[in-house]
Amino acid sequence: MSNFREAQNQAHPNKTNTLMLALIMILILNVSIQVWLLYTALNNALEKNTDIAFPSFIASSILFLIGFGWLYFLPSGPRVTK
Amino acid sequence: MATDKKDNHWKEDFPVYQLESTQVSRRDFAKFLCLVSGGLAVGSGYVAIKANFFPPDKMVGEHFVCKKHELPVGGTRSFVINGSTIPYILIRMENDEFRAYEQKCTHLSCAVFYKPGSGKIECPCHNGLFDAFTGEVLAGPPPRPLPRLTVVIKGEEVYVKDFKPDNDKPDPNRQSRS
Repeated sequence: MSNFREAQNQAHPNKTNTLMLALIMILILNVSIQVWLLYTALNNALEKNTDIAFPSFIASSILFLIGFGWLYFLPSGPRVTK
Repeated sequence: MATDKKDNHWKEDFPVYQLESTQVSRRDFAKFLCLVSGGLAVGSGYVAIKANFFPPDKMVGEHFVCKKHELPVGGTRSFVINGSTIPYILIRMENDEFRAYEQKCTHLSCAVFYKPGSGKIECPCHNGLFDAFTGEVLAGPPPRPLPRLTVVIKGEEVYVKDFKPDNDKPDPNRQSRS
């Protein structure tokens, strides 16, 4: 039984570049938003506004889970036969 | 060559080619980004837990700093509270008021100092300026006001205690600064 990744590699062998670029761009975007969330939460916590810390943590965790799930679509590259 | 006589079987135990060890594939880069993402999420969690469940200890009671006559008008004195390592600065302003602040700049923790006669506290690292009367940021990169202590004068002795905004009575003699 083949999975999505194998089917994709067989049907569109030239699309790995596009897929890889999209994946990396979204991961960079996620990380950028997480940096902003952490910076904001830290600055507010030091200013004794602690209300923003937990929403920021939840948002950051969701972004991480999105990025982690996104790795499933990572192109596997050329098969090396030994 | 002498090296040819050596036993080279160790290479079989470490089958890593130089090309593989020096090049980072896009696949590895994407995985690394995901690792960074996880690290940032953990960092956010740490900030949230520390801010909500482990707030910094508040100063308890009053602490003696020095005698009033030991500090000339426009002068400053550094001090630390017993049991703490946080450096503080006591300032005797030109209108004979006392102010006490944490001596660490809120930008990158450089030591700040009072500029006599100006009513301003300066951080020399990145030219951050704070209002010496309130601790508010006047200029430069510091993101927050300087943490402040309340100064209590008992006769000739100067004490400090935890700052509460209610203790900050407006001073009628204070001149407006441009």
